[in-house]
Amino acid sequence: MNPFKLAFLYLRIGVMNELQYRVNFFIQLLQSFIAIAIGLIGLSLVFAQVNELSGWNRNELLAVMGVHILMGGVIRAAIMPNMNRFMGDVQQGTLDFALAKPVDTQFLVSIREFSFWQLVDVVVGLVIVGVAVGLMQTTASLWQALAFVAALVMGALMIYSVYFMVTSLAFWIIRVDQIVNLFEGIYAAGRWPVGIYPDWLRTGLTFLVPVAFAVTVPAEALTNRLTSLTLLGAFGLTVFLLILARSIWKLGLRSYSGASA
Amino acid sequence: MPFSITISKLSKHYKVPEREAGLKASIASLFNRKYKTVRAVDEISFNIEPGEVVGFLGPNGAGKTTTLKMLSGLLQPTSGALQVMGFNPSKRPYEYLRQVTLVMGNRNQLAWDLPALDSFELQRAIYGIPSEQYKKTRDEFIDLLELKDLINKPIRNLSLGERMKMEIVGALLHQPKVLFLDEPTIGLDVTMQRRIRTFVADYNQRYGATVLLTSHYMADVEALCKRVIVIHHGKLLFDGELAGLVEKFSAYKTVGVTVADARADLSRFGNVVAQDGARISLRVPKAEASKVTSKLLSELQVDDLTVEDPPIDEVIDHIFTAESVAG
Repeated sequence: MNPFKLAFLYLRIGVMNELQYRVNFFIQLLQSFIAIAIGLIGLSLVFAQVNELSGWNRNELLAVMGVHILMGGVIRAAIMPNMNRFMGDVQQGTLDFALAKPVDTQFLVSIREFSFWQLVDVVVGLVIVGVAVGLMQTTASLWQALAFVAALVMGALMIYSVYFMVTSLAFWIIRVDQIVNLFEGIYAAGRWPVGIYPDWLRTGLTFLVPVAFAVTVPAEALTNRLTSLTLLGAFGLTVFLLILARSIWKLGLRSYSGASA
Repeated sequence: MPFSITISKLSKHYKVPEREAGLKASIASLFNRKYKTVRAVDEISFNIEPGEVVGFLGPNGAGKTTTLKMLSGLLQPTSGALQVMGFNPSKRPYEYLRQVTLVMGNRNQLAWDLPALDSFELQRAIYGIPSEQYKKTRDEFIDLLELKDLINKPIRNLSLGERMKMEIVGALLHQPKVLFLDEPTIGLDVTMQRRIRTFVADYNQRYGATVLLTSHYMADVEALCKRVIVIHHGKLLFDGELAGLVEKFSAYKTVGVTVADARADLSRFGNVVAQDGARISLRVPKAEASKVTSKLLSELQVDDLTVEDPPIDEVIDHIFTAESVAG
């Protein structure tokens, strides 16, 4: 069994399934526009008072907002639906079926769902990033583009790891919905570069819930702020979180006894 | 022939928190939690040969599902050994998982919003079933279970019985050699139960698969299993032929007699359990059955007489209630 083929098959089926529900597309579009409107209003309010925020000017903050919307789309399209289903499986004992398959179970529970229409946010986010880069009137170098993509991928993997760890807590405490909601609240803080927050919050947003790496760092790549050291640190943290998530999952599996029949 | 399934002294104990009712006890249990060990499965041993269909019986909470889950690698045994086709299920090697299947009548694995056909495709990819074989098996099963018109409908639009049939197709697409069926016919109507039964028997014949089946419907067990294993409170009570179970545990026989005089009072011969005109059913202790019949024949004008074992349901019920009183 080729894991990529399997992931692609799930993706294809998820997309085909969601294409049946066109209303969702319009709802999603509406949500995205509301998010943009709120974001833009926020930005203009800030820049009515000051000319820059912790060293970020208006266009650069627009880029941060774009990345935030983009990453939010990725989370809601590919990560959140899978984690919700995984949580339900633990609660209802249907994880049994996933465990009985001749495939790595962590991999399986992480690829089964895909909310296609959430990609609207990814597209919208990309457009905003494009506009922001255009307004900055600097030409992005190939190195910048590559660093941006690498930072995005690593950021998504970090968010996945943390989300997966939190969801794995369901093995012990069964109901983790509240903690997961908390996660969403924290992600909202990524709308602004984490540099504007006080130290304790910044540390939390960097290491506890790596919003800094998921949003601010890719935006740094676009605005010529990213150092190779940060990128290396991102890589290290990604690997660390992936391993940690795997360990917690394995530990949790041991205490899983299935919701009794 | 080597055994397909070997279980020896298999146990599974759960530690469950224990607290008394009431708010005070709830608060106390936050700080000082008491645990109680539940022996869900307690040192059971049995072997099953390849191709055998064995009924696994026991009341709710007897440990059937726990045993099936240990066999399919979902639960780690507390102690004891188990082996299926030479594999240790607890380690869940992929090679093993590819050759077994687990069907749970009270849970679905097919995705709710997808047509069954899509879910089958996923099964194909997960189990790496070759394309030709997949198509052949799928179409064959769909034919046998008469599902042709339903495979493109989302699962949520199907009836309970249709859904269960789909579940079974999905669970057998990879042609497993060992089937663990946990209440596969639960909640289904009689016709649907029979259809599924026939299908399982057919699959067993065709692929020589080993089947371990739990069911609360004795009709399932009677139709499919020559051999039954009975567990209760996690302990093995009986392992042998279904007929032997009745022989061993039933203390009574049912004597059916049709007499010429419909008003006859037969209570002196035994316990009258039913009287429908001239047709009377008597329950008599097994040891006295022959004595009672000869007495009946000599003292009354008998048109017809039958001696039967009580229905299997009754026997099983008798075992479990007697055991729970004793245990």
